[in-house]
Amino acid sequence: MVELSLRDVFGNLLVEFGKKYEDIIVLDADLSSSTRTSKFAKEYPNRFFNMGIAEQNMMGSALGFAISGKIPIVSGFTIFTTGRAWDFIRLACHDNLNIKIITTHSGIVGEDGSTHHALEDLSLMASLPNLTILSPADDVELRKMFEHVIEIKGPIYMRLPRGGFSRVHDDDYQFSTDHIDVLKDGSDICLMGCGYGTELAYHSVQSIEQKLNVSLKVINLSTIKPINKVKLLKHVKDLKGVIIIEEHNIYCGIGSIIAKMIAETKPLPMRFIGINDVFVESGERSELLEKYGLNENVLMEKINKLMEFTKN
Amino acid sequence: MKLSKKEETQLMLDIFDIKEDILKMIYRSQSGHPGGSLSCANLIYILYKNVLKLKPEEPQWKERDYFILSKGHAAPALYAVLSKIGFIDKDKLMTLRAYNSELQGHPIKNEKLRIEIITGSLGMGLSIGVGCALSAKLDKKKDKYVYVLLGDGELNEGAIWEAAMSAAHYNLDNLIAIIDRNGFQIDGSTEEIMALEPLASKWKSFGWEVIELDGSNLSELIKGFNRAKKVIKKPILIISYLIKGADVSFMENTRLFHGRPPNKEEFVAAMGELEFLKDEIREGRL
Repeated sequence: MVELSLRDVFGNLLVEFGKKYEDIIVLDADLSSSTRTSKFAKEYPNRFFNMGIAEQNMMGSALGFAISGKIPIVSGFTIFTTGRAWDFIRLACHDNLNIKIITTHSGIVGEDGSTHHALEDLSLMASLPNLTILSPADDVELRKMFEHVIEIKGPIYMRLPRGGFSRVHDDDYQFSTDHIDVLKDGSDICLMGCGYGTELAYHSVQSIEQKLNVSLKVINLSTIKPINKVKLLKHVKDLKGVIIIEEHNIYCGIGSIIAKMIAETKPLPMRFIGINDVFVESGERSELLEKYGLNENVLMEKINKLMEFTKN
Repeated sequence: MKLSKKEETQLMLDIFDIKEDILKMIYRSQSGHPGGSLSCANLIYILYKNVLKLKPEEPQWKERDYFILSKGHAAPALYAVLSKIGFIDKDKLMTLRAYNSELQGHPIKNEKLRIEIITGSLGMGLSIGVGCALSAKLDKKKDKYVYVLLGDGELNEGAIWEAAMSAAHYNLDNLIAIIDRNGFQIDGSTEEIMALEPLASKWKSFGWEVIELDGSNLSELIKGFNRAKKVIKKPILIISYLIKGADVSFMENTRLFHGRPPNKEEFVAAMGELEFLKDEIREGRL
């Protein structure tokens, strides 16, 4: 399975789009070698601004660049960029400024531990009006998304992991924020996630279907905001239930957003897989995903129990 | 540029008109910040009247100077100045803070009204100014300046000092920050709440060119801005010593009118004082 590091792809895309769009400028907070914005810095030194370990000032400067007609791309680690600079992002969203926040190290980062995992960023970002929130499932989708990121006039937040996800899309995949990305059709339960959640659902679905004799639909929710509610609900209305998988706190992430939509129309039983409102410690990412239940066994168990529940 | 006596008199009369508008707006809406609006009204007016490069007929003129009101609670002063200059209809002023009004409690971006960006969450304007100044440098716009008006209380915010560090790092001599040094914040005097002094040496040590002046003196203000534009390779800070609630005796040098509107008696008394001072100016006694 092809699995490219999304921050590497991001770094390359910056260089590629930097050539095409002269108004793109990039800001980083002393993490350019980690976020791979260093590639842009090397290619376009005049248009790269290392703002030091000061996320608030980095974001504030991005607002200034935006009102000056530039397209600022702001990067850094997810939790520090979204958390420390939130008040600045909020004002950018208020004025609908054309800033692009693209961060790496989202979700469980591994050995750096609880200070560095980003399991609360979607809660922070989803409550901001005007903000488009994107989370690509693989390198193919990231590439296709990038054009939209630059073309959309307004604030955008894109959540990238430290590593990569194995591919779920073919090269001819077309991305649109208005499109619901159904990766696999099914008639019993819909598995819905973004980033790692999509990867887990997509790559487990075949074996779980065989083991449990169940028909599963898989939706990649790579546009977290705005979601085309009408289209999404059409895809789930005739199913028995929905399971959300997210590498994020189960509170106020995509589970909460989708549950609200479903509850307001045709309620369906739902189950949620994510970080169960705790802080996560250091360790290898794979070990931590295992420990906190973001794995195939837990997914299978949830599907099994949900099927049992729907029979009663 | 040195002001003639006639010019200075006219500017002072304009500023008193602006102060009357500020008080009327806040009195009518029964909410707003009189103290910090009266302190900097003259400064904002001088900026718009004598300093900022703008095209009245073209709000989004690319070569224009930028003004960022970091102390967004002085919105009444900004609106009253914009009205005096002719960018806001005078009738609109009395809708301050009202439902459906463009004149929000704190300013929001409005191209038509020449408001560049939302402010009001304190400590953000200088970073925004850094971005504007870096952008102008990138575009090699040598004649474009970015002016940021800071409150002294908001210097408590850490982001101000991040911005200060970065402006010096990038040698932003097109960034001119002004501190409305009136000495008061909501809960008390700045030195009592979170001491700022020695303020000038703090900024100097951050790599800024610091100009200290009496902000109540219009000629000195204009001279200060001219001096600021001559500085090279350093950002410039003008510490403008001003008076909280300036020109209304019972609002001066007190925290009490930071965010409280005057009642009827206070409003009438304040307007009477401003009218009296205008007469003094007209008759050359002030």
